[in-house]
Amino acid sequence: MPLTLELTNSPGVPLEVEGLTPRAAAEFSSQDLRKFPVQHGNRKAALGDFFSISGSVNDLELRFVGDLSGVHWIGAGMDEGRVFVEENAGRHVGSEMTGGQIEVRGDVGDWLGGEMHGGEILVHKNAGHLVGAAYRGSRCGMTGGTIIVRGAAGNEIGQAMRRGTIAIGGRSGDMPGFNMLAGSIYLLGECGIRPGGSMKRGTIAYLGSHAPELLPTFRRAGTDRPDFLQLVFRDLAARGLAIDDELANARFTLYHGDLVELGRGEILVRET
Amino acid sequence: MQLGSTQIDDTYAEAFRMRYARLIVTAHDEHWLNAAADSTTGYATSVINCDAEAGVEAFIERDATPDGRPGAALMFFAFSNDALAKSVSNRVGQCIMTCPSTAVYNGMPGADEMIPLGKHVRFFGDGFQKSKQIGGIRYWRIPVMDGEFLVEESVGVAKGIAGGNFILQAVTREAALDAARASSAAIANIPGVITPFPGGVVRSGSKVGSRYKKLKASTNDEFCPGLRGRVETRLHPEANAAIEVVLDGVSEDAITAGMRAGIHAAAATAGVIAISAGNYGGTLGKFHFHLHELLSS
Repeated sequence: MPLTLELTNSPGVPLEVEGLTPRAAAEFSSQDLRKFPVQHGNRKAALGDFFSISGSVNDLELRFVGDLSGVHWIGAGMDEGRVFVEENAGRHVGSEMTGGQIEVRGDVGDWLGGEMHGGEILVHKNAGHLVGAAYRGSRCGMTGGTIIVRGAAGNEIGQAMRRGTIAIGGRSGDMPGFNMLAGSIYLLGECGIRPGGSMKRGTIAYLGSHAPELLPTFRRAGTDRPDFLQLVFRDLAARGLAIDDELANARFTLYHGDLVELGRGEILVRET
Repeated sequence: MQLGSTQIDDTYAEAFRMRYARLIVTAHDEHWLNAAADSTTGYATSVINCDAEAGVEAFIERDATPDGRPGAALMFFAFSNDALAKSVSNRVGQCIMTCPSTAVYNGMPGADEMIPLGKHVRFFGDGFQKSKQIGGIRYWRIPVMDGEFLVEESVGVAKGIAGGNFILQAVTREAALDAARASSAAIANIPGVITPFPGGVVRSGSKVGSRYKKLKASTNDEFCPGLRGRVETRLHPEANAAIEVVLDGVSEDAITAGMRAGIHAAAATAGVIAISAGNYGGTLGKFHFHLHELLSS
């Protein structure tokens, strides 16, 4: 039975549980874990002030129960193990994580997987802005790992990301891949404006039936059925994203850009 | 020992250690897949004078390939990982990348040892190549004139065995050819085995060494019907044609299964009078496949 943390006292102001990773939790007895320091607004508090704790973390799995929309930094910095959130989660879920798995059954806030380096995140519903993005002032966003959001996501998905994969099943906001350095962003739903602005390398692929209007600094190359996308479809499906069977035969038009930068990035737009 | 009307000689095939790699090649359809497979495994019959021994292990249905297209598993055998890396890279670069619509994947994902493939071939992209990590595996996308050539960065290698063999002897050349085809077809169904020679068989079976110092191998005079009377022969008195079936495989079990299937198919062919095997007194390799044992087990 995993270590279960049930929210018993809903925080009135943001509650930050940064550092509460499966490995860190394993170093505490359940009694000591209640004293694990958390940040409640502008004052320090203890984990036990907000959560009832039961079970064991021997299998390196944390299970959060309750609406954790106001609880932030869940799974941030984790390097192994598994975190499962039964309902919603707040901002910075999986931030800077290097390994392990996070699964959220509900919605998550902004900065999902911000600057993550490895591991996997699966969100069953929607995510906020700046999925996998760089924190303000940082040179690059996520550098590894995979983020799957089955629902919608906000603006600046993968902003300044260097490596890794982001896939959004629902609507995506404006400027995905803004300042992107490399990596892959796959978007299946409706899309916002100005994808790939200032991207240097990397791939943004529109797999759904909605084609975005591209910036004038992208140039059309040709239309094809790239073999690597077949592998991508299978990989995303295996990771829990609904992939339309028709995608296997879909053709994509390739655009190079952003030509105000290196122009080595690519945007693939599905032909409908 | 008799298998039907065919005499099975009490002898053994002598095989030796090699390294092998397995590639999964896919293409738009069977035409282009066969073109790539034939070309890539060409001039790869024997390490006596080729950089590798290669063949098609199996054809793979669309639903079992990485990209949902028709595929083939190709196997390559060489004496070392370095030799394999060079041979496989060269062959992929010259024979698969050049063939329209193809892609190449690692056929041994769980291998302990890897050799570079896309890591070398990518330079053909002249700086326009792109890498893409999918499911934890790095691929290279090399721009070519029909789109992109997709190749996995590295492929697995493992220890294998080369030189499994048996020699079928028939009363006529026609019967020997029929038996050779039947054997080859039977072995094609065995996983983990290839028959690298043309049509799966070799009519110029060889012995180690030669009276000419520069040659590593020369004709196996003991099995040449035309030399009967001039040299000591190992042919059945009624045999007028012999053909050797050579197998490379991933393990002793695979070679055994291949030899067993091939021998049974040959023995079921009319006119096959005897089946023997090639060995060199134990001096060539440490793997000995005794015909009576493998047919009895």
